[in-house]
Amino acid sequence: MDGFLFDVKVLELADEKGEFCGKLLAGAGADVLKIEPPGGQATREIGPFYHDQAHPERSLYFWHYNFGKRGITLDIASPPGTGLLKQLIAEADILIDAQPLGTLEKLGLSWKALQALNPRLIYVALSPFGSSGPWRNYKATDLVHLALGGQMMCCGYSPTEDGSYDTPPIAPQMWHAYHIAGNQAFIATVGALIGREMTEVGEMIELPIHQAVSVCTEIDVPHWIYGKTPCYRQTGRHAQPAIGPEVQFPTKDGRYSIVLPNPFPGGYETLVGFLESKGKAGDLNEEHYKEPKNRRGPAFTEHFADIQAACVADFDMEDIWHEAQELGIPWSPIRLPEENPDDIQWQTRATFSQVEHPELGESYTYTGAPMLPNACAWRQGPRAPLIGEHNRTVFCEQLGLSAEELADLQDKGIV
Amino acid sequence: MKKRRPLEGVRIADLTWLLAGAGGPRLLASLGAEVIRIEWRDRLDFLRYMPPFASKRKHVQHLSSSGGHDSSFRSEQMEERAEKAGAMDLTGLDTGKVQSVNRGGYFNDINAGKYGISLNMKAPQGRELFKKLVAVSDVVVEAFTAETMQKWGLGYDTLKAIKPDIIYMQQPGWGYKGPYVKYASYGPIAQAVSGLTEQSGLPAPQPPAGWGFSYMDWSGAYYCAMTILMALYYKKRTGKGQYLDCSQVEPGIGMTGTAVLDHAVNGRSYRRTGNRSPYTPAAPHGAYPCAGQGAEKDRWIALAVTSEEEWQALVRVMGTPDWAAQERFASLAERIKHQDELDRLVSAWTQAQEPFGLQERLQAAGVPAGVCQTAQDRIERDPQLKHLNWLLPLEHTEIGTWPIKDIPFHFANGQVSQAGPTERAAPCYAEDNEYVYKELLGLSQAEMDACKAEGVI
Repeated sequence: MDGFLFDVKVLELADEKGEFCGKLLAGAGADVLKIEPPGGQATREIGPFYHDQAHPERSLYFWHYNFGKRGITLDIASPPGTGLLKQLIAEADILIDAQPLGTLEKLGLSWKALQALNPRLIYVALSPFGSSGPWRNYKATDLVHLALGGQMMCCGYSPTEDGSYDTPPIAPQMWHAYHIAGNQAFIATVGALIGREMTEVGEMIELPIHQAVSVCTEIDVPHWIYGKTPCYRQTGRHAQPAIGPEVQFPTKDGRYSIVLPNPFPGGYETLVGFLESKGKAGDLNEEHYKEPKNRRGPAFTEHFADIQAACVADFDMEDIWHEAQELGIPWSPIRLPEENPDDIQWQTRATFSQVEHPELGESYTYTGAPMLPNACAWRQGPRAPLIGEHNRTVFCEQLGLSAEELADLQDKGIV
Repeated sequence: MKKRRPLEGVRIADLTWLLAGAGGPRLLASLGAEVIRIEWRDRLDFLRYMPPFASKRKHVQHLSSSGGHDSSFRSEQMEERAEKAGAMDLTGLDTGKVQSVNRGGYFNDINAGKYGISLNMKAPQGRELFKKLVAVSDVVVEAFTAETMQKWGLGYDTLKAIKPDIIYMQQPGWGYKGPYVKYASYGPIAQAVSGLTEQSGLPAPQPPAGWGFSYMDWSGAYYCAMTILMALYYKKRTGKGQYLDCSQVEPGIGMTGTAVLDHAVNGRSYRRTGNRSPYTPAAPHGAYPCAGQGAEKDRWIALAVTSEEEWQALVRVMGTPDWAAQERFASLAERIKHQDELDRLVSAWTQAQEPFGLQERLQAAGVPAGVCQTAQDRIERDPQLKHLNWLLPLEHTEIGTWPIKDIPFHFANGQVSQAGPTERAAPCYAEDNEYVYKELLGLSQAEMDACKAEGVI
């Protein structure tokens, strides 16, 4: 089956800021060519590593975020390198650029120059704060983005009884600022591809990561806009204007599960019936609580949470959540990532796939398609490119360099 | 040259709700798609009942010319704010108390740029009208429980018979194919099962901190939009529509890939590291307390020092304290080894500092640093977001003009903004019945009146 973007050619000049967007485009079927500096992209130094060997071909970070791409090395700042880059740009549909501000301009490749090279080019510029504005030269990392973007002030642990916090705001780790930016960059990029079908001209898209991250919180912004009401972070649940009941409870086997209120009519009764079936409904069947008016307010919600906690504590994490879900109760285990590949749901949907690493003689479990289409297929391989793996294919077969010319460029450190 | 919307001419029948469902079509509206949100009064989106609410009277907010970041955002007296602004306890939701379903501020943001109609899909006539809409649409997207559309005789085969190149996206929480088809999912559930909750927080024995918002609702929205866009591109190139079975959990799984690989390759389980960098060597790396403001004294700055150069810059901004010259902090490896002590010393310094001034000084010296900003900080103070016009004033027919979060991608040629083709915030309930039923579907006034009288629209 075709990939969705089966005829789309992408060039990627990116570190962690843009690699996820490129990975998604590759997954969707585009031919993504990653252009790395000679020696490899700096993201090859990010762990964890295969057998803990810090080595540019053994970064599992790099494997995951560059899955399905092809790779060449090129010093784009050298005159021959700039020339070769121009040739590649002339044939590309999309250029993802997450390099420091002004990198391409210094090479004479402003947006105007890019348009002259390829009027159909879609140029996607990701940068920490945008190319203008008072913070344009600020330095950021994933952590700094999640601080400035508002995620951290929403995430963490509940305050103590007097309302003060004795724990810091928490940034969920594993590069979510770049996930958030990459997802939205993908939306903009494919939107522009569709628009180009109509206009026949390219597009320049600027995506400041700080802005992308700042729009990805939930009710804290409307609460401030409409009510000047701050929201407070609390363990395992939404930041809210007031501290609400717990939804995350420890299980018998030392793990955690989450039980959410069911907003549909009858949701409360279903949950109480389920707790009762486990002999754990406490006093909820007393007449007093049959009256909805006696089930309002924080005293009841806390009491109700205590009863749920007592039930969750009696079972192992994976034990009873299926039974609850069969009844429509939003209940789930808090899993570790590696606990999902064995789940029958994801096996049925082929959510994970085995990816071959021929040079290691091994195949490993990767996360795969994020959805199931019926007319197209999500990419199944190959694994991330080795350093300069496609140099010969691209420079010789595609751009017409001779083997000698390529060897010469290698000797000069240009590829 | 007249600016054009990239998705000009694309029409989407939107049967979603909440954020994970309705957020995807919102993004498509920003790119210019005509999104028609279909609702029915007996089962309205909970977000229409969820605080915060705009004031009852039609009230036009005055925004500063640069996009509005001064304190004139303040709404007028909001008498029920205090009582409504409690924790999100949907079990206690009393929909009868809400005087108008058009005043929800969160709903207003999530549905900006869309058209809105009322349609009773449970009535056979309602389904006939829906089929007429399908005939002139490119995409049908819904987030009902799995068998609902089938039960109504509106499965993919039927939709395809009406419109052969239709793109039909179904997004039950766990996906349609598979044994969990009936399971419920909301953002926190998708976060919990995918592994994202377990990955957030201080190291055990502290429990996971999880997520203080429905990250997977936004991600669900992103993947809804992304998947429809891919399918639209494929249709432009090949003329073929398709059926898309989406789940809210799988995109979350996709964001745990490095940890999945670490287990597959090294047999290692993910262990929470708090705010410390799990894989990029860095120290100090975390949130450090600052001088507090107001009652909560809850002010923090994030520092992420990954190089010798940045460390030296930090030391200079700290005033070159003696402790920083000690052997145990002499290299990145040493600083990581002694980071408990390092964090204590850095915290002792930061807690006397005003956070925003400190951020300026650190950034000027080349240290990656950022205040843990609140919504108030981002709306009223952040000069970069203001420069980027991140909030867009959009008019809502009943509650007036309010700031809406604009999309973060800036197009040079195309006309792209959250105003969408409606150039308006969210629709009031049934606001665009006239346009859709008369102009698009060709009903006469008499036919519309009859539909209304019979409880169909």
